[in-house]
Amino acid sequence: MNYNRYLYPIIPLLGFFFCWEIAARFSLINTGLFPSPVTILNDLKELFYQEASGRSVLLTHLVVTLKRLFYAAIGGTLVGFIVGVCTGLSYRFYRFCDPIITVIMPIPGIAMAPLFIIWLGFGDVTIITAGAVAAFFPIAHNTSIGVRSIDRQLVRAAQIMGANKFSVLSQVYIPWSAVYLFTGIKLGLARCWRTVIAVEFIAAANWGLGYMIWDAAEYLNASIVYGGIILLAITFTLIEKGLINFFERATIVKWGMIRS
Amino acid sequence: MIFPDKINSNRVGTLRVPTKLFAAVQFLFPFLVLGSLWEVLIRLGLVNATLLPAPSMLMQELYELFFRKQALQHHLYHSLYRLLLGYLLAVMVGVMMGTVLALSKVVRQMFSVTLSLLISIPTIAWIPVLLITLGLGDKTVITAIFLGGVFEITYSTVAGMRSVDRQLTNAARIMGATRWDLFFKVLLPGSLVSIMPSLRLSVGYCWRALVGGEMLSAMIKWGLGKMIYEARFWNDVKVMLVGLAAIGILGVVLDRLFLKTLEQATLEKWGMLVER
Repeated sequence: MNYNRYLYPIIPLLGFFFCWEIAARFSLINTGLFPSPVTILNDLKELFYQEASGRSVLLTHLVVTLKRLFYAAIGGTLVGFIVGVCTGLSYRFYRFCDPIITVIMPIPGIAMAPLFIIWLGFGDVTIITAGAVAAFFPIAHNTSIGVRSIDRQLVRAAQIMGANKFSVLSQVYIPWSAVYLFTGIKLGLARCWRTVIAVEFIAAANWGLGYMIWDAAEYLNASIVYGGIILLAITFTLIEKGLINFFERATIVKWGMIRS
Repeated sequence: MIFPDKINSNRVGTLRVPTKLFAAVQFLFPFLVLGSLWEVLIRLGLVNATLLPAPSMLMQELYELFFRKQALQHHLYHSLYRLLLGYLLAVMVGVMMGTVLALSKVVRQMFSVTLSLLISIPTIAWIPVLLITLGLGDKTVITAIFLGGVFEITYSTVAGMRSVDRQLTNAARIMGATRWDLFFKVLLPGSLVSIMPSLRLSVGYCWRALVGGEMLSAMIKWGLGKMIYEARFWNDVKVMLVGLAAIGILGVVLDRLFLKTLEQATLEKWGMLVER
C-alpha cells in the first residue's frame, strides 16, 4: 500500500502531459501556442547543443542567471543582516527604520527596475542591485525579530562571566538569531530569484534565463518559453532543497536549535 | 518580545500624548527626516536632480498628475479593479480546490505534489506564457493576479480544513447537519485560522503579479505598473518615484486596513485568535 504515496502524484502529471501530447499530435490544439511536450524537450536539447563562442547556449543562460542570483543574494544578505542586527539591538534605530521598511517592502522588485535602469543602465549591475534590494527586506526583518527575541538571561549570564560587548554579540545574539536569519534567507532568496528573473525580462542585455524566455515570447517561440519555465522551476527547487538544507544542517541543526 | 519595557511609552518628557497621535508621528518621523535631508542635498546641488528629484518636486508632480492631467485616478482605478477581480477569483477557486483536496484523500495524494510544484513557479514566469496565449491585454493581467494568489490559498485551505477537530465534525454530523451545514458552519469557520493569514499573504502576491503584469503587457493603457514602465521612455524619474510611492503606500494600506479589519471581524470576534 505504501508505494501509493509515490504512484499517485505521478498519475495527474503524466496524464496531463500525455493528453497534451496526444492533442498536439492530432492538432486538436494550436501547436503554435501549445507545442507538444516532446517538441519542447527537443527544442531545449537543440538549444543545449547549440554553441555560441564555444559554450552551450542554454548552459550560458543558466550560468549567467545563477551568477547574478549569487551576487544579489550575497549582497542582500550581508546588508540585511547588518541592518537587522542594528535594528534588533537599538530601539531608537528600530523605530526609525521600521516605517521605512514597512512602506518599501511591499513594492515588488520589478517595479523598481525602471528606476535602476535609469540610474545604472542596462545589464548586470541593475539586475544584481534589484535582486539584492528584494532579498534585503525579509532578511533584515527576520534578523531583527530574532535579535529582539533573545533570552535576556543568556545575555546577562554571558556578561557576568566577563564577556565583552563584541563577544556577547558574536556568541550570544548571532547564534540565537540564526534560526530567524535562515527563515529570512529562505524568504529572501525566493524573492531575489523572482526579482532577478523578472528584471532580466526588461533589463538584460543578451544573456540569462529571463532574457531567453522573454526573447522567445517576443518571437512567439512558445516551446522555448515553456521549456524555460520548466527549467526555472527545476533550478529553484534544486537550489532551495539542496543548498538551503545543506547550510541548515551545517549550522542550526548541528547546533541543536531545530531538528532536521 | 518587542521591547516589553518600552511599549506604551507615549510620553514626551513629562507630557503625555494620545497613543494614536504618538504612533502616527512616530511613523512619519523617519520620512520627514530623510525627506528634508534629501531636499537639502538637492538644493545644495550635491545630488543630480534629474536622477533623484527632491520631495518638493515630487509633490508638485503628484499635484500635476492628480489634478491637472487627472491621470493618477485612472491608473489607480484600473489597477485596483484588476486586483479586486483577480483576487476574488483566486479566493473563490482557491478555497474550492482546497476543500476538494482536504475532503478526499485520494485526490489529495494525487495532487499535492503538483500543487507544491505549481507554488514554486514564480508568478512572473507565467506572464510570458499568458502573453502568448491570452494576448497582451487585460485578460493576461487578471489571470496573472489569479495565478499569483490561488495556489497559496489552496494550500492553506487544505491545511486549515485538515486541522479542524474531528470531534467537531462528528458532533455536527450526529446532530443532523447536512453537507452544506457541515461546510459553512463547521469546516469553513474552523479553517479560517489558517486561511486568514494566507489571504493576507496572497494579497501581497497578487499585488506583485499585478504590477509585473501591467508592466509587461503592451496593450493596456492604464495602471500603476504601466505608468512606471512608460516613464522610463521619457527618463521621467519623478513619475516613477510617485508611482513607486503609490504602490508602496497602497500595499501597506491594503494589508493594514482591509485585511486587518477582516481578521478582526472574524477571527478575533469569534475568539479564535489571542489578541496580540
